Amino acid sequence: MIPFELAEPTSLAAAVKLLDPDDETVRPIAGGTALMLMMKAGVFRPAKLVSLRKIERQYAAIAAGADGLTIGAMTTLGTLERSAEVRKLAPLITRTCLTLSNVRVRNVATVGGAMAHGDPHMDLPPVLMALGASVTVAGPDGERTLAVEDLFSGYYETVLAKNELIASVKIPAQGSKRAAYMKVTTGSVDDWPALGVAVVLDGEGDTITSARIVASAATEKATRLTLAEAEMNGQHVDETLLQRAGDAAADEAELVADVRGSVPYKRELMRVYVGRAVAAAWRGAGLNND
Amino acid sequence: MTDGHTTAKAGSQIGRSLPRTESRDKVTGRAEYVHTMRLPGMLVAKLFRSTVPHGRIASIDVRAAKQVPGVLHVVTIDDVKQVIPHPYYGPAFHDQPILADGKVRFVGEPVAAVIAVNPHVAEEAMQLITAEYEELPAVFDEVEALTSKTYVHDELQPAATFADLKHLKGVKDTNLALAYKLRRGDFDQAYAAATHKFEHEFRTQKALHLPFEPHATIADYKDTGVTLYTASQGPSFVRTEIARLLGWPENRVRVKVPYLGAGYGGKLYIKLEALALALSMIARKPVKVALTMEEMFYQITKHPCTFRIKSGLDKDGRIVARKCEVYWNGGAYADIGPRVTQKAGLTASGPYDIDHVSIDSLAIYTNVTPAGALRGFGVPQLVWAYESHTDMMARALDLDPVAFRRKNLMRDGGQHTTSQVLKDAAVEKVMDAVLDRMSWSKPFDKGASVVRRGRGFAIAIKAVTTPTTSVAIVNIAADGSVTVYCSTIDMGQGSNTVMAQIAGEVLNIPAESVKMAPCDTDVTPYDMGTLGSRSTFHMGHAVRLAAQDALAKLAQLKRDVGEPEGSNIPIADLFKKRYGMQAGNVIGSGVYKPDYVSPDPETGLTPNVTPFWMVSGVGAEVAVDTQTGHVVIEKLINIIDCGKAINPKLVETQISGAALMHLGFAMFEKMHFDGGQVTNASLADYKIPGIRDLPGTMENLTVDTIQNNGPFGAKGVGEVATFCVAPAIANAIDDAVGVRLTELPLNPETVFRAIRAKAGRPLEEA
Repeated sequence: MIPFELAEPTSLAAAVKLLDPDDETVRPIAGGTALMLMMKAGVFRPAKLVSLRKIERQYAAIAAGADGLTIGAMTTLGTLERSAEVRKLAPLITRTCLTLSNVRVRNVATVGGAMAHGDPHMDLPPVLMALGASVTVAGPDGERTLAVEDLFSGYYETVLAKNELIASVKIPAQGSKRAAYMKVTTGSVDDWPALGVAVVLDGEGDTITSARIVASAATEKATRLTLAEAEMNGQHVDETLLQRAGDAAADEAELVADVRGSVPYKRELMRVYVGRAVAAAWRGAGLNND
Repeated sequence: MTDGHTTAKAGSQIGRSLPRTESRDKVTGRAEYVHTMRLPGMLVAKLFRSTVPHGRIASIDVRAAKQVPGVLHVVTIDDVKQVIPHPYYGPAFHDQPILADGKVRFVGEPVAAVIAVNPHVAEEAMQLITAEYEELPAVFDEVEALTSKTYVHDELQPAATFADLKHLKGVKDTNLALAYKLRRGDFDQAYAAATHKFEHEFRTQKALHLPFEPHATIADYKDTGVTLYTASQGPSFVRTEIARLLGWPENRVRVKVPYLGAGYGGKLYIKLEALALALSMIARKPVKVALTMEEMFYQITKHPCTFRIKSGLDKDGRIVARKCEVYWNGGAYADIGPRVTQKAGLTASGPYDIDHVSIDSLAIYTNVTPAGALRGFGVPQLVWAYESHTDMMARALDLDPVAFRRKNLMRDGGQHTTSQVLKDAAVEKVMDAVLDRMSWSKPFDKGASVVRRGRGFAIAIKAVTTPTTSVAIVNIAADGSVTVYCSTIDMGQGSNTVMAQIAGEVLNIPAESVKMAPCDTDVTPYDMGTLGSRSTFHMGHAVRLAAQDALAKLAQLKRDVGEPEGSNIPIADLFKKRYGMQAGNVIGSGVYKPDYVSPDPETGLTPNVTPFWMVSGVGAEVAVDTQTGHVVIEKLINIIDCGKAINPKLVETQISGAALMHLGFAMFEKMHFDGGQVTNASLADYKIPGIRDLPGTMENLTVDTIQNNGPFGAKGVGEVATFCVAPAIANAIDDAVGVRLTELPLNPETVFRAIRAKAGRPLEEA
């Protein structure tokens, strides 16, 4: 690692100003858990890092309202994990945090960083996408809001300009929805996932009225499986449906091979785990199931 | 021995679960490691490494690197030769150049070194170096390399230290570094006459030691002498080898080892020490070379291995003939591979009483990172094969795998394959203990739906690397306090605690009052190395003898000052009486080298190949997800024979540590390669077991035995619980889902593919 300039602005607006839309070597840093590894490996050599640690405290706060949760982008994953509001309104996030990386990473890594990094192996993006979350993004010309599912444009790529920062995440109220996330590892249990599947379902009686299914890790970016979702809507949940959903997911997903598994194997994991995640979500009695 | 206030009862130090004496320093961050050590005026080096697996170096351009402010030297082999004319090193072969010399032989081989004022400058400059290579064909697979026309080395260069390698000097056009053989009886005839014949091939992967403290060495060279601070398991060998490179007597080379952040065999013999020496000679200042976690993928690994095993059985299920062909993938430089080949090779036929055995064990050069010893000295690779083979034969003949083993097991009083009479090897006792803890004779629920359950067993035997020597000194100060000097390295296994217990037992004082001197070859005497589960036995004996020698000298001192027979004068008073004040020392010394008879060069047979046998048995219960191939290890029973446990708690942690380490190798650890390039050379992509990979139930036990020739009945323990983990799990997977895996690791995709292949629906290739 070679020396670089470290800026520590005290406001989000100042941070945005310090960024350069055209300079690859100027980047914001929040928790730094991903960026520092890239710097250590020599993959990224910054001229300037803009630390977000000293910006306004509101960007590290969690607010709960009737319309859902607003989570500041600088909220650490550890804070998220321990938040009573999050546990009440989006317990899927609490459950996901428990198996996300390790306690040392969770205590410094941030919600905004987990998304802005664009790493398809992260656990939070597919969960937020399935929950229908949106992000508010601050840039030189003010703020804009976009759905998390529109945030990712490719492998480690997002639609954010180099001088845009995620300010907060909004998770809509989930009502009676049921949810599950399954992280599938093929090495150590603590490894990056070979596949992540997040499912959020709404239903009446034994019929699914809406389904959001998101796959990650095996794909080049967190991706909604719309064909699998379409299989589910208006259907009764039984073994046949789970199988159909799994088959649809396996057919539609574009998969990537790596040391964690070949494409044919990941396709089988997808087939099995979409069904298992749907079943797990459906089994859960409403939103507060753990 | 008494000094009035620190007396211990006889026998009270042995079998005592004393907590590790250094733990407080370690958990409070006060323990010193080379990786974090700094010397005044110290420079640091970073290494520029080869990007091709095999090639002639056409050019190296270091000009830009030299211009970086803060860079003092950029060093290539030409510079090294100015200070060390023949810069080749290694324990068995002098085949490894300090920096690549004309050729590179694996991706990651050091080609140039930048010496700078700090690691950041060194790193930046290193990235400005460029090299051009004329690429040569490369060979990666051990079996292919044996007949390949691509040669990793132009000719073999055995070290003079091993007399049995002399005949290899100058041999050309081969990748075979060493061939070990054993011939007992007449395999061909017995196999031809056998009723049942089986032949299988097994493979193991390339995997990594991954100690928490990466390799690190500081060399501080002066014309009068050199001091090396190094993260090494073998300081005595480092001293010998550095003295040889310099043409100096050993007493001008000082090697100091503080605490070691683990080793597992990866820090043996000579690693960064020769390079650090050369750099310090060039810079004429202390120079530190410390690897990153990522660079360890290019330092030393476990041996990949291909094992072809053939057995002939009579009609009653007795194994009458066995042939073992073992191919060891040693990588680009021999390191200790030839010794692994020999010393593991001699137990390749397993703990079975077989009259006709043929073993060929071959050390082979390839164009990948060198391989060395890794917690088991090759034996886990062998057990993986022969204990899988054993189960496969039993299943094919519809025999109970346990009864089949029992019928063929070696027993005390019988002969080992080498012809040594087996003594104090509790093979059957270990097996019975595992089966008892597994409730093997009780019904077992194998499951009926998606998740199927199975159980498996494996048993193994290993010899200790022999002959090796240990020397110890016990120093009793004038106040009666005791210091032990030995070069055994405490790398977390607790050897300091155990040596203090042994000294305390002999001297009749509590172990916690015994000081273990830090390892420093100017002060602590010779030891072969902290390796191969040899320290408790060899150094334990040396410390015991040194303490006894000190006691005898104290007794003489008492006679010299006119104390009556049987006097229990406190030690401090005795010294005062002798020297008139608190002054003087009593120095005891002890040397231990076990008896050994060199194997017959034609047959490999010898009546005395090892002073003790290590025995290990494992039982595993697994649950296999038939839809994904995921294997959950529900129960793992690890039982070993280590003789009398000097410190039962430390023995337990050695068993659990060894078993968990090999759980990683069994289940998922693997260096992935693409054209000689490691594609997962970081801890982001190479994972070791974490807390959540632990088996549901894990028992780590010993059987109640005594090693009659051991110090207080003890023998080695560090490696023992590694041997059987992989085959026990593979046997359990077969029991659960009826598929047989012959290559490690047993990762979910491998298991799933086997399940689909068995169902007649093979998964398409990647």
